[in-house]
Amino acid sequence: MTVPFLQVSGLNKNFGGLQALRDCSFAIEKGRITCLVGPNGAGKTTVFNAITGFLRPESGSVQFQGRSLDRLPPRAIVRSGIARSFQNLRLYADMTVLENVTSALPGQFGEQPLSAIFRPFRTARAMRQANEQAAGILEHVGLGDQARVWTRNLSYGEQKLLCIARLLATGADLLLLDEPTSGLSGEALDRVMALLRRLQAEGKSQLVVEHNTRVVMAIADEVVFLHGGHVLAQGSPAEITADPALAEIYFGGAL
Amino acid sequence: MEYFYSYLILASIFVVLGLATNLLVGIAGIFSVSQAAIFGVGAYVTAYCLVNEVMGFLPAVACAAGACLLLNIVITLPALRVAGDYFVVTSFGIQLLATAAFLNWNGATGGASGMAAIPPADLFGYAIEDTGSMLLLCVAAMLLCCLAFYLAMNSPYGRLLRAIREDELAVAASGKPVIPAKAAAAALAGVFGGVAGSLYATFLSFIDPSSFDLNASVLLLSMVVVGGARTLAGSIIGPFVLLALPQVLTMVEIPSTMAAGVRQGLYGALLIAFMLFRPQGLAGQKL
Repeated sequence: MTVPFLQVSGLNKNFGGLQALRDCSFAIEKGRITCLVGPNGAGKTTVFNAITGFLRPESGSVQFQGRSLDRLPPRAIVRSGIARSFQNLRLYADMTVLENVTSALPGQFGEQPLSAIFRPFRTARAMRQANEQAAGILEHVGLGDQARVWTRNLSYGEQKLLCIARLLATGADLLLLDEPTSGLSGEALDRVMALLRRLQAEGKSQLVVEHNTRVVMAIADEVVFLHGGHVLAQGSPAEITADPALAEIYFGGAL
Repeated sequence: MEYFYSYLILASIFVVLGLATNLLVGIAGIFSVSQAAIFGVGAYVTAYCLVNEVMGFLPAVACAAGACLLLNIVITLPALRVAGDYFVVTSFGIQLLATAAFLNWNGATGGASGMAAIPPADLFGYAIEDTGSMLLLCVAAMLLCCLAFYLAMNSPYGRLLRAIREDELAVAASGKPVIPAKAAAAALAGVFGGVAGSLYATFLSFIDPSSFDLNASVLLLSMVVVGGARTLAGSIIGPFVLLALPQVLTMVEIPSTMAAGVRQGLYGALLIAFMLFRPQGLAGQKL
């Protein structure tokens, strides 16, 4: 048996009296788009927080490519190849679009004050390289002509694309996207969906929190259904949507 | 002329302090109101070393800078973990604590009566006794610090600090070090504060706690607000303008007994006016 790309095993997390994760276990495969679905409050964002080190579960374990991520800080988890986005975007509004991307490029020279002050020419060269690399990423997500724009002046759809560009800049192989299409419709929605599929073709594995059933059907290879912090079912989009019990939970609310 | 030189020297020294304050408050978003305490430590360390003939001027500057570097990291520690409003209160307390130490540690600081007869600065055996040479030294130090500030802020490091100010969590999610970057900002600001303190002590040859109290910290913040936060130009313009103000006021006919009160009142009015009508200062960005 091969080791899964990402294995989440038996996570438990309590917030006061609320059990946000309850023996939460699932695995995802390399190169696939896995959608994490479930009603509001099912624990989807909590799973993201637990995988990326922003939250420490009381028990359970996360393995990425056979290596344990338990107790690692967020920084180390990004370096190991997992990057996450936020539901509320968390872009740097008062910085340019390009700077939002360059900020996430790993291992830049001149990121400490001493090297910046005493090796100015090498730092300037590193910045030029970073700018070129970031411009390429922006081009790739379709924001190539917006590089010098202040981020707060972008449309909402463009901000969503910029979030993905920032994830790509980290160089991560597994992208955790928290509602990348929420609030979008029409052309903006199509752009994001097309981008996610294109990234998949380029080898980026994705775990996507998604509410829109149409989007799930269109992009997901696999669906993980979460309810009350527990994985109720995992399977192809067709299998999950065909299950009347899950539909009842999703749309009817009560179990 | 001598008087004008003194103004330029003090303004250069305060530019170095303005850089430190701008770096922490403007760029990194660490709202410190205790930078005058760091300035004071720099001045006292230098004065102590020179008065007691422990070492020469340059080693004393290095000691002052090193002490301020370490101390500024320590007093900024609370801000490394929690951002925002709570730190202002912590930093306020640290400032009061520092003033109490300057006032009461008689053996090292001379207490309320301060330290007098501090020898002038010297470079490689050449004593800098006249005001003209001191001006050259202070302007040179200011330019070096401005250059360091410019290089650090226009680098990936500067970008990282701005990103931290905007959203620490997003920086961590990008795999970047948040706490080391903030600590480095405190360290750099500490070095600036230490150098400024050394120059101040050797220029005036007398220091007492009143130069390094909460009022001085507020003055530093005012300089950054009036000059303009987050920019090099703002850090330079602010001290030159605010230190010129008292001289301008002396030209207005007011009884000398009222002058101090009028000056304080005017500072206050100026701050409020800037916050209301020009929050970006003369040459900066909105805080």
